[in-house]
Amino acid sequence: MKRQSSLEKFAGPALLAGVAALTLFPVYWLVTMSIKQEVDQFAVPPLWISFRPTLEHYYDIFWVRPFATYFFNSVVVAGVSTVVALAIGTLAAYSLARSPRPGLAFWVLSTRMFPPIVSVIPLLLMLRWAGLLNSRTALIILYTGFNLPFVIWMMRGFFAEIPPDLEEAAMMDGETRLGALWKVLLPVVKPGLAATAAFCLVIAWNEFLFALIMSQTDAGTTLPVGIAGRVTQYEIKWGAMSAAGVVAMLPVFLFASAMQKHLVRGLSLGAVKG
Amino acid sequence: MRIDLESLSKNFGATRVLRDFSLQIEDGEFLVLLGPSGCGKTTCLRTIAGLEQPDSGRVLLGGRDVTHAEPRDRDMAMVFQSYALYPHLDVFENIAFPLRVRKAGAKDVERRVRQAAERLGLGALLQRRPRELSGGQRQRVALARAIVRQPNAFLFDEPLSNLDAKLRVEMRAELKRLQHDLGVTSVYVTHDQAEAMTLGRRLAVMKDGVLEQIGAPEEVYSHPANLFVAGFLGNPAMNFFPGRVDSDARAFVAGTVRVPLDAAQLDRLPVGAAVTLGVRPENIDLGRTSNDGWIGGRVYVSEAMGNETLVIATVGEYQVCCRTTPEARFDFEAPVWLRLRPDRLHFFDSATTRALWP
Repeated sequence: MKRQSSLEKFAGPALLAGVAALTLFPVYWLVTMSIKQEVDQFAVPPLWISFRPTLEHYYDIFWVRPFATYFFNSVVVAGVSTVVALAIGTLAAYSLARSPRPGLAFWVLSTRMFPPIVSVIPLLLMLRWAGLLNSRTALIILYTGFNLPFVIWMMRGFFAEIPPDLEEAAMMDGETRLGALWKVLLPVVKPGLAATAAFCLVIAWNEFLFALIMSQTDAGTTLPVGIAGRVTQYEIKWGAMSAAGVVAMLPVFLFASAMQKHLVRGLSLGAVKG
Repeated sequence: MRIDLESLSKNFGATRVLRDFSLQIEDGEFLVLLGPSGCGKTTCLRTIAGLEQPDSGRVLLGGRDVTHAEPRDRDMAMVFQSYALYPHLDVFENIAFPLRVRKAGAKDVERRVRQAAERLGLGALLQRRPRELSGGQRQRVALARAIVRQPNAFLFDEPLSNLDAKLRVEMRAELKRLQHDLGVTSVYVTHDQAEAMTLGRRLAVMKDGVLEQIGAPEEVYSHPANLFVAGFLGNPAMNFFPGRVDSDARAFVAGTVRVPLDAAQLDRLPVGAAVTLGVRPENIDLGRTSNDGWIGGRVYVSEAMGNETLVIATVGEYQVCCRTTPEARFDFEAPVWLRLRPDRLHFFDSATTRALWP
């Protein structure tokens, strides 16, 4: 018995530490890589902490190369597409959650049933026809479309957890249906909204394929494409790529930290009756 | 305000929830809709509220046709079975919600919320969130939210059914007094007969989307219009004896049960046709010795309730429930004699189920 309890005492934390190390090591590597001089980058054995830090890669990406533009593009594209997808998707999810025909919601997912790459050529042609190639607008439209089914599915689940009595009470108290949604239901599903927003934001922030194909100029290039662009025929700019990677990671990291309280509740919403 | 329901019909798929349902609710009246689950009483209430649209028929509010009006345009207050409190708002804001929607001034809101909260004994709980309240307290908040304004009507959808028995009786009395003091037209849906009997000035009994009977509770109890109402109202339920009238013997006969009939009854009841006799448990006298005209039986089981004793006796092929004094004690299988009080008999047409007498 004693052995088992001491095993429990150490095995749990040890396991957690192992997983944390596994998860955090790439982050550590990325961050140190971004502030190492090129000669130190591939030193054998690796210079874990004893290297002379430099900010030259950060200078490089922001002043020599147009990473500020890429960053701005990414923020706009991910931010706007998330807000739009949430606005449309939440309304659709609410309707579907209250719909007497539950089968309808299944078809919302049908747009995600084929691999995205098969839609690249038709979308490219459509965007060219609309004159939207090489623009942030193109990516905003695409990402909104891709995220919509996820938003609808996630939010529909959150709304389904809420008894209709709640919005009916608000309507009896004098609200319109939309007013009831805005003043009563949305505050109640706020954790769910936060989780869904985080999900959309991360997907849009990291999307690569469509961003690469729909934008050939800096005007519409997002961070993932910009970073990959540092891999060229002649050289791989590890320092610049790492610096850009750190910059790309920061907003998501900050957003997730700010939302952490909501995220946990959102992802487990409905698991326990409140 | 006066509410008129004019031949409402409503179907959910193949289920007919309301069938040509008409009802007039007077201004200031407390009307109770009673029926078994699935009888359409809640749908009826939700149609009055505007949360449900009838397939046909009209809803009039103070003479105005509101059949297709939004709930907000009817200005009624509803108390839900689940209370439906807003979980993200504290008690004060929950009660204030209807006032905020109407853009009432801050001072006015403060005064009226305090008044409503005081009336329901919630003064100390205004800063709490709903999840920090007991079931009874939540119920009070839901009531306070209804009375914080002067609505055209109160609609109650089984508001007490989630409370424990003791609290339910307390709230029942409080609700009755509250409605009397405020004088607002009220419609109250329940399947609980005690609530139905005590709360309403009038009682409407429903079954399968049809209004079976409407009237003062005492009247519905003492003069049920048909077998369903007779059997549904009253606890324990009325005893029924399906039989027929024997004019030669001047009696009603159902197996071994014979009940002598007077001239007026003989005159009214169809001779030879299938007739069902109904007697409430409290209208049966129980004796240990035989008397002229009493019916013999044996005690199946005797239940002492404290304030009364219920005796279920086997009489021929029937089990008859009798209500008797609390001190009375009967052994299993003890012989007993029953007398059905002649002035408290109910007769129903067995085919149409309609009341024939009284």
